[in-house]
Amino acid sequence: MNFNFSFAIEIVPRVLEGIGNTVMIAIISFIGAAALGLFWELLRRSHATIRPVIQFVIDAIRSTPALVQIYFLFFVLPYYGLTLPALLVGSFGLSFYYSGYMSEVFKAGIDAVPAGQSEAAQSLGLSWADMIRFVILPQMLRNVAAPLGAYSISILKSTPLLAVISVPELLGSALDVASDTYRYAEPMFDVGVLFLAMSLVAVAGITQLERRLGLTAPSH
Amino acid sequence: MAVQMNSSSDNAAVTMEQLCKWYGSFQVLHNVDLSVAVGERIVVCGPSGSGKSTLVRCINQLETHEKGRLIVNGVELYKGMRGLAELRRDVGMVFQQFNLFPHLTVLDNCTLALVRARKLPRDQAEEIAMENLKKVRIPEQAHKFPTQLSGGQQQRVAIARALCMKPKLMLFDEPTSALDPEMIKEVLDVMTELARDGMTMICVTHEMGFAREVADRIIFMDSGRIIEQAAPSKFFKNPEHPRAQQFLGQMLH
Repeated sequence: MNFNFSFAIEIVPRVLEGIGNTVMIAIISFIGAAALGLFWELLRRSHATIRPVIQFVIDAIRSTPALVQIYFLFFVLPYYGLTLPALLVGSFGLSFYYSGYMSEVFKAGIDAVPAGQSEAAQSLGLSWADMIRFVILPQMLRNVAAPLGAYSISILKSTPLLAVISVPELLGSALDVASDTYRYAEPMFDVGVLFLAMSLVAVAGITQLERRLGLTAPSH
Repeated sequence: MAVQMNSSSDNAAVTMEQLCKWYGSFQVLHNVDLSVAVGERIVVCGPSGSGKSTLVRCINQLETHEKGRLIVNGVELYKGMRGLAELRRDVGMVFQQFNLFPHLTVLDNCTLALVRARKLPRDQAEEIAMENLKKVRIPEQAHKFPTQLSGGQQQRVAIARALCMKPKLMLFDEPTSALDPEMIKEVLDVMTELARDGMTMICVTHEMGFAREVADRIIFMDSGRIIEQAAPSKFFKNPEHPRAQQFLGQMLH
């Protein structure tokens, strides 16, 4: 059985059925991971007493495979009466997994803001929350733009993991085509090309965004 | 008795009693006793590593002391106390590295704490900010970002930002040490004016001309101790302590 290029093109519309979900999962997971990651980091930073606990949670999240976490969530939540759509469980799983990495990105981003900035904010009598919100986070954002961009691509490329819990995304619809036609090479080729295209578009978008962020205030 | 206590706390902006601080096992402050009256101008000098900066940074608790007492504007400060942010609003601080917020305009640098901490409406905050920017002679830079200004201008903005809070006390931690020589004067001029207006000031500086002209009292520190304090006229003419003599000898040459 040779690779059939015209067949690969012919099945594109069917493979594409999953692309909406793939994009949606990537976006939800990216926002979820960033929000949860920032939450971990601020929690870790604000309370010295619970810091080791949070650190352990972050390490645990990063030290277990994403696939295992997704399976676990998918099968364990129903035991507690929580039956959610697979797409939601999967998005949460990816958010959770990547939040561990994001928290480290935010940590580095905040650490890179000079200590004098928080000292000045404290001297002015700003509350901790105001200092974080108005002084630290805006400056952190520029430090983390590049790594966050890289993680957004990683997250996009991890969405096929959700095929294992039957989320109808790109890989899922390609697998459907494959099982209907007994041909695997062409659907997988299509999936690969589509991910390549999405990644290239995302990279261009991120570069654009970074450039714009860089313009909001002059660099040092 | 009660009257006496009141009058003493009314007159003292800062009181330190036997203040001690360690960095790990290294003691930076040794039993420092110091009382600064309201309206008094103090210059703190001494060789590097003598604890000058630490002393000043204790006053707004950027550093915490481990032993002794510290009373600022009538309130005793201690590690882990509540309400510190509120107390800091009455203590202005100017840093060696300016520490302006680079993502905010000059005006927003000045209004941030007025709006967020003092809860003033935006227009009122801007009015106060412009007043103080005029006082430091750079109102025309209000809408620029800090990095677009020279070092001297940035430091003047930092002074204006601190003044916006109407502090009872201003701390200066080597405010001209990071400046090019030709910019030092513009900052010292602003500080001199501030002193003339009656601001209580504690300045760590090596600008002996400024000290001579403005200070009511010079504090000389060495190895975490205050080893001499005197009026500038006396301190510069005949310092008592050999360490101070040696220091002045090096400074004035």
